[in-house]
Amino acid sequence: MGSYLEIKYLEELQQQYASVEFDSEQPEPHIYVGTEDLLALMKELQENPIWAFDRMANITSVDYKEYIEMVYMLYSRRFDKWVTVKCKLDREKPVVESMTQVWPGTEFEEREIFDLMGVEFLHHPDLRRILMPEDYTAYPLRKDFVPLQPKIEGGVLKWLQPKSLS
Amino acid sequence: MATTEKFVLNMGPQHPSTHGVLQVQVELDGENIVGAKPVMGYLHRGIEKLMESRTYQQCVPFTDRLDYVSSMNNNLGFCMAVEKLAGIEVPERAQYIRTICCELNRIASHHVFIGSLTNDLGSATGMIYAFRDREKILDLFNIICGARMTCHYIRIGGVIADAQDEFLQKTEEFINYVPEMLDEYDRLFTGNEIFQKRMQGTSIISKEDALRFGMSGPNIRASGWDYDIRKIDKYGIYGKLDFDIPVGKTGDNWDRYIIRLQEIVESAKIIRQCLDNMPEGPFMAKVPKMLKPPKGDAYHRVENTRGELGFYIVSDGTNKPYRVHIRRPSFINLQALDHMCKGMVLADAVTAFATIDPLMGEVDC
Amino acid sequence: MHNGILYLAGQSLKELMLPIIGSELIVNLIMTLICIGILFMLVAVSALVFTLGERKVCAWIQVRIGPNRVGPWGLLQSTADMLKLLTKEDIIPHGVDRWMWVLSPILIFIPAAMVYALYPFDDGVIFADVNIGLFLLIAISSQSVLPFLMGGYASNSKYAMLGGMRTVAQMLSYEVPMVIALMGIVMITGSLKMSAIVEAQSNIWFIFLQPIAFLIFMVTCLVESNRPPFNMVEGESEIIAGPFTEYTGMRWALFFLAEFANLLSIGILTATLFLGGWQGPDFLPGQLWFWIKAFLMVLIYQWIGWTFPRTRMDTILSFGWKVLLPLALVNLLLTGFGIYIFKWLL
Repeated sequence: MGSYLEIKYLEELQQQYASVEFDSEQPEPHIYVGTEDLLALMKELQENPIWAFDRMANITSVDYKEYIEMVYMLYSRRFDKWVTVKCKLDREKPVVESMTQVWPGTEFEEREIFDLMGVEFLHHPDLRRILMPEDYTAYPLRKDFVPLQPKIEGGVLKWLQPKSLS
Repeated sequence: MATTEKFVLNMGPQHPSTHGVLQVQVELDGENIVGAKPVMGYLHRGIEKLMESRTYQQCVPFTDRLDYVSSMNNNLGFCMAVEKLAGIEVPERAQYIRTICCELNRIASHHVFIGSLTNDLGSATGMIYAFRDREKILDLFNIICGARMTCHYIRIGGVIADAQDEFLQKTEEFINYVPEMLDEYDRLFTGNEIFQKRMQGTSIISKEDALRFGMSGPNIRASGWDYDIRKIDKYGIYGKLDFDIPVGKTGDNWDRYIIRLQEIVESAKIIRQCLDNMPEGPFMAKVPKMLKPPKGDAYHRVENTRGELGFYIVSDGTNKPYRVHIRRPSFINLQALDHMCKGMVLADAVTAFATIDPLMGEVDC
Repeated sequence: MHNGILYLAGQSLKELMLPIIGSELIVNLIMTLICIGILFMLVAVSALVFTLGERKVCAWIQVRIGPNRVGPWGLLQSTADMLKLLTKEDIIPHGVDRWMWVLSPILIFIPAAMVYALYPFDDGVIFADVNIGLFLLIAISSQSVLPFLMGGYASNSKYAMLGGMRTVAQMLSYEVPMVIALMGIVMITGSLKMSAIVEAQSNIWFIFLQPIAFLIFMVTCLVESNRPPFNMVEGESEIIAGPFTEYTGMRWALFFLAEFANLLSIGILTATLFLGGWQGPDFLPGQLWFWIKAFLMVLIYQWIGWTFPRTRMDTILSFGWKVLLPLALVNLLLTGFGIYIFKWLL
């Protein structure tokens, strides 16, 4: 299964990057990092041979109603180690650096997150909707999502806001 | 001086060789491909969202519909993630049965790969032969759980029913048939001159590119990485079993095909070991009907037939998952399509679709 | 002088009519019309038979059963298919070049049917035994390139256009090795007349004298008639159906009528040129030998088609120009030497 990155290494990272936080009580503490340090931290984890996190195993986002959380799970094939990096984003205007600058293979996954969760990625090569129609306006994976109503007006498909339930 | 003009050919979503509803906008200069852009979403059902409003047990059938030709592997991935989240121990017999089913499913899925590949190369005969053999596995699933494709057999905590003697006996018969089956494939198409000529040296993905695109499964192994989650994570009982990981050299279409043929042999090896060492005992752990895992999140990955399938589940302490994210291997593998098609001719694009083996149920989720 | 069954039947029919009608000219005219009718019947029936035959052979190769629901052993399947196609709506897509689009399926049928006039079915049974028979045959059959291109161009579809272009490229390239391979036969026979070619094989079939030419001819035949593994034109996994993509119903059926006429055509042609045509041991009539050989060749062509995967366009072309053409030229040279040595020995 591979083991999680030890606490001492996390502390090392904390010294390097000011915004890194983790709960050392837990057995497998997630790294919380601010958006400003995210890209630098990721670059360090991927490029520095002492970490060698060469695979972005899983990248996703969760809507916690107050904020949106980006979840990055990194896996190092060389050392068989895991680490989870999380990043809290403002729910009103979620913007984060694109990981395609570090792992180019995250392009589609970030497009999917942009499509379904509405997180905007800076410096992404081709940020468009990927699964939903291109003129869709809502973000389905958010907790307050209500499906839009499709309506054909004059031969053109339009997405209308649903009537208020209240 | 003669000049040529580029044009965009829209392949799909209704096209004979796009494996469902994949749309690819191929930019062509005559017959030479300049670029290929996949367009997805025609099969998007919002499974991740649907799972948020179902209980954990109700979520399992959704995973059948992801990669519908290897449903057992998807069941396994989701169930193991929930078991990890809730701390459920699975009985050993159940794990053996799960492994047998998953490996059978892997062979069946590779049959679909071989079938659709040969069909795309214009030899419908090959497809019929591959599907004839896949039928034998589907019949086995029919015996063990009553369903052929969307099995929903692996449940949280074990499997839903014990493996009957009839199933075990017929599985053994099938395993004995595997060498004969592969021999027939070799004679029909693997040894065919035209087949080799079309596959060898086309759509090469180098070792670095495969890692760069985040590929997984047989596609990354064809490029030379021995990256197999079954060997790395040793989940379930895979740590006790003896099997090899076939690895390719060049990463061309031919390697991707040969890797799958070798994987069939390895799967057969695994199944035989499981059949020989099958323990007696319960096949289901004690799992509460209203499963409420503790608050937190868990990620578990398994080696699906198409690569690294991961389930990330966030629990808020209720009986429904707060958020489920599925890392779908063929969705991520599809990123390499543009790279694979560039510089090839139109006929090679079809081979590239086939060897990358995307399944639209999984890509669109 | 001729003693084929069909020839004798034709002669007796002629003698029967002569006293009734009186004028030999009119009798000859009526006979000509009857022959044309029979040839067209042959083409149409062969299409019906081969739609079922192809599916049955294909099913047999693919360990399936094949059509068996309509009529006994599925014999009426092709009739049902034909009826279905006739009743389909005739869709003319928006933006097609209408005249060319409509003409293409009709024109494609003409060369396919016309070559049947030059086949010696039996001793003395040949509609037009002209002294440039083989040359005329190749000239007519190469006309089928044009309708493909017309259909492809006029459809206003990228798939059709690609298919049309592919047809032109492959058919033109393979015409050359085909003609040069057949030259060997002409050199041995010393005539382009079809009946003379068959008669020249009374002692030994040309397949034994010209084995290289036979193989080249088989490959070029498959390419010229767009049979798999060279069916680049309608390579269904790449360009859907090539020039036929936009056609529906009966127009589409006409393309397939021509294709099956061509299939029988290449079978007959191979049998005539290399397997001694209607000649064979006396215990069976010549007519029967002719059909046995022709159908055997058709079966072999289908067998090849359903076993091999499709080749790629660039490989086809380079194979034609770089392998088949030099091989055909070498064969021509060898034949010339062979004839010279043979004459010297005599």
